[in-house]
Amino acid sequence: MDCKHVSQVFYLFFDNELAEEEKESFEVHLTHCPACAQHVLLARKVLLTLRKRCNRQIAPHSLRVRILTSLPHRQG
Amino acid sequence: MEAQRAASAEHEKGWDFEALAMPFVDALYNTAYRMTRNAEDAEDLVQETYLKAYRYYDKFEPGTNFKAWLFKIMKNTFINNYRKQQQAPPQSDFAEIEESFESVVSKDATGQIKSPEAEFLENVLDEDVQRALDDLPPDYRIVVLLADLEGFSYKEIAEILEVPVGTVMSRLYRGRRLLEAAMLRYAREYGYLRSGDQPTKMRSRVSEDGKPATPASDTEFSEPAQG
Repeated sequence: MDCKHVSQVFYLFFDNELAEEEKESFEVHLTHCPACAQHVLLARKVLLTLRKRCNRQIAPHSLRVRILTSLPHRQG
Repeated sequence: MEAQRAASAEHEKGWDFEALAMPFVDALYNTAYRMTRNAEDAEDLVQETYLKAYRYYDKFEPGTNFKAWLFKIMKNTFINNYRKQQQAPPQSDFAEIEESFESVVSKDATGQIKSPEAEFLENVLDEDVQRALDDLPPDYRIVVLLADLEGFSYKEIAEILEVPVGTVMSRLYRGRRLLEAAMLRYAREYGYLRSGDQPTKMRSRVSEDGKPATPASDTEFSEPAQG
């Protein structure tokens, strides 16, 4: 796997969507190419930051009540 | 007698549906909130999603992914109700994608890699993360939400959005690159990063032609885009 290919598939690697045989060649490339390793590290950190720091919105209780009371089997 | 039996069947369906569907209120609401960007519209969107899901519950195939099914209904509802009112997505700074992509692979003359970017992320504020996400064009925002916050696979996202897997991959790629560019921009604004770092060239598939591609031309990842 060359640098260009790495730049195309690194998200697939994070997302566990890369084929098994490609995973290994991806990892091998990173151990030999500090530039790609650096790039992939940053991209990975961005995603981890997003997942960790993006506060999830919690549905208000009133919405749950509204949904439940609107369902036909709850009426009458 | 007949009416009674029908009522009882309806009742059973209702309880069944509730048990299956209610655990996803928060997940749907979070995504709805990020797409509509306000609480009132998000509540209406989720409410309508549940009513439609109930109505079409007979069409759900047991054993398939119920959460993905709910998200698909919400996506269609969102498109029908909200997208029409919205203006065209803002032209994002695609030039920035290339810039950030290049800056991370920069080396100095001795081949030493500079790595200020990864460290700044420790300092980034929660608000900046939300802002970066909220500023993504809707087509990119939704795939990032589904992949990174809801943990759907590419195949599931393709089913929810009714686009080819290749389109999911290319939108996810662009969306995440834009997010990264925005975060790096905030870092520069706060002075965590210097703006004058001289990047070396590395080809970026995103902006090879220097222009943002429209979703209709999301063909980089081998599969033809249908929509």
